[in-house]
Amino acid sequence: MSCTLGEVKNRADFIIYWGGNPAECHPRHFTKYTIMQKGKFVPAGRKSRTMVLVDIRETPSAKAADIFLQVRPGKDFEMVTALRALIKSQRVSKEVVAETGLTVEQLQDFADRMKSARFGILFFGMGLSMTRGKHMNSAAVLTLVAELNAFTKFVAMPMRGHGNVTGSDMVMRWTTGYPFGVNLCRGYPRFNPGEFSTVDLLVRGDNDAALILGADPGATMPQPGIDHLARIPTIVLDPKVTHTSRLARVHITTAATGISAPGTVYRMDEIPLPLRPPLKSPYPTDEEVIHRIHQAVGKKPAWLPAANGRASVSRAG
Amino acid sequence: MITLTLKEQPSVPLEAESISPDVMATLSHDAIASLPVYLGKRQCRVDDFFRVEGGASEELHINGDAAKVKWIGRDMTRGRISITGNAGMHLGAHMKGGVIEVSGNAGDWLGGEMAGGHIHVRGNAGGQVGAAYRGSVTGMTDGLILIDGFAGLEVGMRMKRGIIAVRGPVRDFAGLQMKGGTIFLLGGAEIRTGAWMTRGTVVSLKPLRLLPTFAPVAAYNPVFLRLYARHLRTLGVSIPFESREGVYQRFIGDSAVPGKGEILIWQPQSTR
Amino acid sequence: MLRITGGKVYDPTNNIDGVVRDICIANGQIVADVQGGRTLDATGMVVFPGGVDIHTHVAGAALNFARAMTPENHRQAAKFLHSPEQRAGIGGTTPTTFATGYLYAGMGYTTVVEAAVPVLSAKHTHEELRDTPIVDKACCVLMANNEIVLDLLEAREVERAKQVVAWLIWAAKAYGVKAVNPGGVAAWKWGKDAKQLSQPVEGYSKTTPARIIAGLATIVDELRLPHPLHLHCNNLGAPGNIATTLETMKVLEGHRAHMAHLQFHAYGGDDWHSIRSEAKTLAEHFNANKNLTADAGAILFGNAVTITADGPWQHLLYQLTGRKWGNLDVENETGCGIVPYVYKGSNLVNAVQWAVGLELLLLIDDPWRIFLTTDHPNGACFWRYPEIVQMLINADFRHERVQALPEKARKRMVLPDLDRQYSLYEIAIITSAGPARALGLTQKGHLGVGADADITIYNQNPDGEQMFRYPRYVIKAGDVVVEEGHIRNAHEGREFLVHPTYDEKIEDFLRPLFQQVYTMSFDNYPVEIERITRPEVRAV
Repeated sequence: MSCTLGEVKNRADFIIYWGGNPAECHPRHFTKYTIMQKGKFVPAGRKSRTMVLVDIRETPSAKAADIFLQVRPGKDFEMVTALRALIKSQRVSKEVVAETGLTVEQLQDFADRMKSARFGILFFGMGLSMTRGKHMNSAAVLTLVAELNAFTKFVAMPMRGHGNVTGSDMVMRWTTGYPFGVNLCRGYPRFNPGEFSTVDLLVRGDNDAALILGADPGATMPQPGIDHLARIPTIVLDPKVTHTSRLARVHITTAATGISAPGTVYRMDEIPLPLRPPLKSPYPTDEEVIHRIHQAVGKKPAWLPAANGRASVSRAG
Repeated sequence: MITLTLKEQPSVPLEAESISPDVMATLSHDAIASLPVYLGKRQCRVDDFFRVEGGASEELHINGDAAKVKWIGRDMTRGRISITGNAGMHLGAHMKGGVIEVSGNAGDWLGGEMAGGHIHVRGNAGGQVGAAYRGSVTGMTDGLILIDGFAGLEVGMRMKRGIIAVRGPVRDFAGLQMKGGTIFLLGGAEIRTGAWMTRGTVVSLKPLRLLPTFAPVAAYNPVFLRLYARHLRTLGVSIPFESREGVYQRFIGDSAVPGKGEILIWQPQSTR
Repeated sequence: MLRITGGKVYDPTNNIDGVVRDICIANGQIVADVQGGRTLDATGMVVFPGGVDIHTHVAGAALNFARAMTPENHRQAAKFLHSPEQRAGIGGTTPTTFATGYLYAGMGYTTVVEAAVPVLSAKHTHEELRDTPIVDKACCVLMANNEIVLDLLEAREVERAKQVVAWLIWAAKAYGVKAVNPGGVAAWKWGKDAKQLSQPVEGYSKTTPARIIAGLATIVDELRLPHPLHLHCNNLGAPGNIATTLETMKVLEGHRAHMAHLQFHAYGGDDWHSIRSEAKTLAEHFNANKNLTADAGAILFGNAVTITADGPWQHLLYQLTGRKWGNLDVENETGCGIVPYVYKGSNLVNAVQWAVGLELLLLIDDPWRIFLTTDHPNGACFWRYPEIVQMLINADFRHERVQALPEKARKRMVLPDLDRQYSLYEIAIITSAGPARALGLTQKGHLGVGADADITIYNQNPDGEQMFRYPRYVIKAGDVVVEEGHIRNAHEGREFLVHPTYDEKIEDFLRPLFQQVYTMSFDNYPVEIERITRPEVRAV
């Protein structure tokens, strides 16, 4: 239930930021895409837009908000579930709603405003997707937005992290069918978050080698995961020596993408943009290094047994 | 009877869907020993990791800490697997019949999308017991899962039919998006029990913190519980239902959907 | 160098109907004769030009969104195991890119047209096509809800609109122009639709869907594009939409046009209870309007994923069925809606839909104008085309399937009365020669001298499904790429592009307007030619 950022710029009169702090984490968001822009159908710009910020504390983003709803930590799921009921005029428990830090009246007002928007957008950040409930918090806002379309036009978009996380999601999907947490051990792609996602694999120690590219798990993972990375052969490709590099077996310095290495990034709304690196680097690009590793691995004997090795296509797909 | 004794701990998880009565029932000892199991990306033999005794039987006995052995009993339709020790993820996933017993713990996805049969874990289980795999709209469609210890997140997620009973406490989202079936929580749960349920019943013997979209409607002891209690007693599980002992507070929800599920929370006489 | 000898050749473009003759190949093309090289003995086999799929959805933002929505389908899908010849992948309803190439090639198809590409994400589409091995490709770029174009049509600046369309085709590195639910997707940006061809679109006072259709058809003809306007009519899927389709055909009089997935536009009745087939009426009109080609868009019972730029229709489908729903609106250009769906023979509506696709293929009398497609993955997965072939060549088999439908459904269709059987010659037309001609790809779809050496060789089999599912050999650009179901040589295919003539000064108009309504730098908008693998550019 989404759109590209230009739709927000041109149409959105009701903008919600939930569990994110764009003023600090996506500093150009307001000015380039959302509240500050004069849009084709919102020519008066800021004056015709209402911004609602939902977060557990008042961040600098609250200064830009028309309405700030302070939800208690770990209560987003309850709040969204209540909203789902309220937009359908279903009953909710006053007492339990109060545990979210907000009243039924506040939520009812929020629901009414969402329904009477001409075009609403809900941006959601890691304050939602990484707190208790995780993927169910994301599912909750996406479901709420889908249901709002019975009343008016409403879309949602995740506020992506830094780097090209969206790009990796896109490429993984078209080559394997799945966005992340892909296991290729059995010769074909399999997906199961919690079983094959990075943090779970590392914490349980389910892998016996690691290649780290464009990330620094040695700084962000739970300690058992870090300890495991230190134990197994770990290879790091990065422009800088990172925390992970320090516990790795091999560190290869590579050119910084976008600065000295070309490529394509995908914006948070999944639109591809070319990178035009302005500088040259003495180091190889990630791509060159991976290509060379791949060629060397290709010289080793195939690891799949003969029965599985023959490529067969003509079957019921 | 076939006995598999773990002789070598796998360094990474071992995928062993060939360990199933349906696969082994007609195979000789040597054929069983050479069945494929997958250590990461390498195909190995059962006897690389297990000492094999016996053959051609529907009764499998597994000895050892098989916590890293996944997919045991996958798709099984008959026979019996008894594990003295622990079992890994996806134990009994997609099973349609037969019995699995575990003396120790089981991993996540116990009985994932199960369609029949009986699983008893004497230790603890992980998350996603009897649940739907990611993207599927339906989880368990029949069968019985009994866990003596505690369990994790999303127990019975999207289940449609069948019974799950857990003695110890479970974590968040028990009965998430339930469409039918019954979950007995003898040790209660953390939060968000029954979230977004459309039908089905969650029975908790301990107080629960419910979502704001559940409404109390009555306090009574439904007749069907008496029937369930009798059935569960044969499995060693005790559910109260006498009014002199207490009463169930019935909640309906989840109004967010809106759903017609119910959550019954036991209130012992002493607390009323 | 290769000589195929002893096979029965079907080459409708060159009037060859099952004649045993040699086909000679050198340097990737069919030549009159070869000396030396390999000889392939095709005695007892049937030789066809490689298949051409004129309308499918296999690459780009919408399809990738659908992949994300359906992990459960991937789990049930065919698995492509990594090997020295083959990349890992997954088949099913939304195959991964490498698997897409293998599945098409495995079925004897060698050219594929991605039917719906937004300009803004065209780079993404071309990247996915680069990762789709073996087959040659072309794209149709979405135009009928492009607000810059619509605004120009509203202001009656037809010439400028033409320049913009020409510029956009080259910016997207496309081959043809696609129109989906003209005006309707623009209206969906406000949650509305455009169901009446003569009613102004939401936000416009003069621009109606009829105007957009006529305007774009004229522009495409004036630009002399090799493929006519590729049109997905308004009111897709709705009971009674035959009226809209016939009205559309009237609007198109005097222009060439290709009508997409015609099956979804051939319904009578007033609602879901009274829905019936109007394929007979549609076929009569279609037969009379010789300016039109169409593809069938047939459905088959089983798993599908509806992926279409028809956003409002998909929202309705979600509300009716309660199934999963995804939607992605693209600023100023288009949108897409996705609903995974299962067609069931026991469902009255689905039964009628199933019949309509076959009725159109049987009632439209010129096989050069109606092509075999399922609007993959909307109607059925493309790798199930052989099932449709069997139903066309074997009337008894087809009648058995019809008898299995609910009686109530059989009263809503004429299929039980149709006994026509397709010959292999006609199958070669609807799967290869016809689409190639409609696309203006003169080197495709035939086995004459100068053609690309894309050839499929089948074992003869009275069971059409078995025969067409398991070609004995598939040759692409002169290389044997598939042999008895195994990938031998997965080279990269080419991509066909069209470079229309336009006045460079149109950029002076577009640049400031673009900066106002879009959200990226104008210089980042066009697709760089370097991004296309083995491009073949045709200047018009």
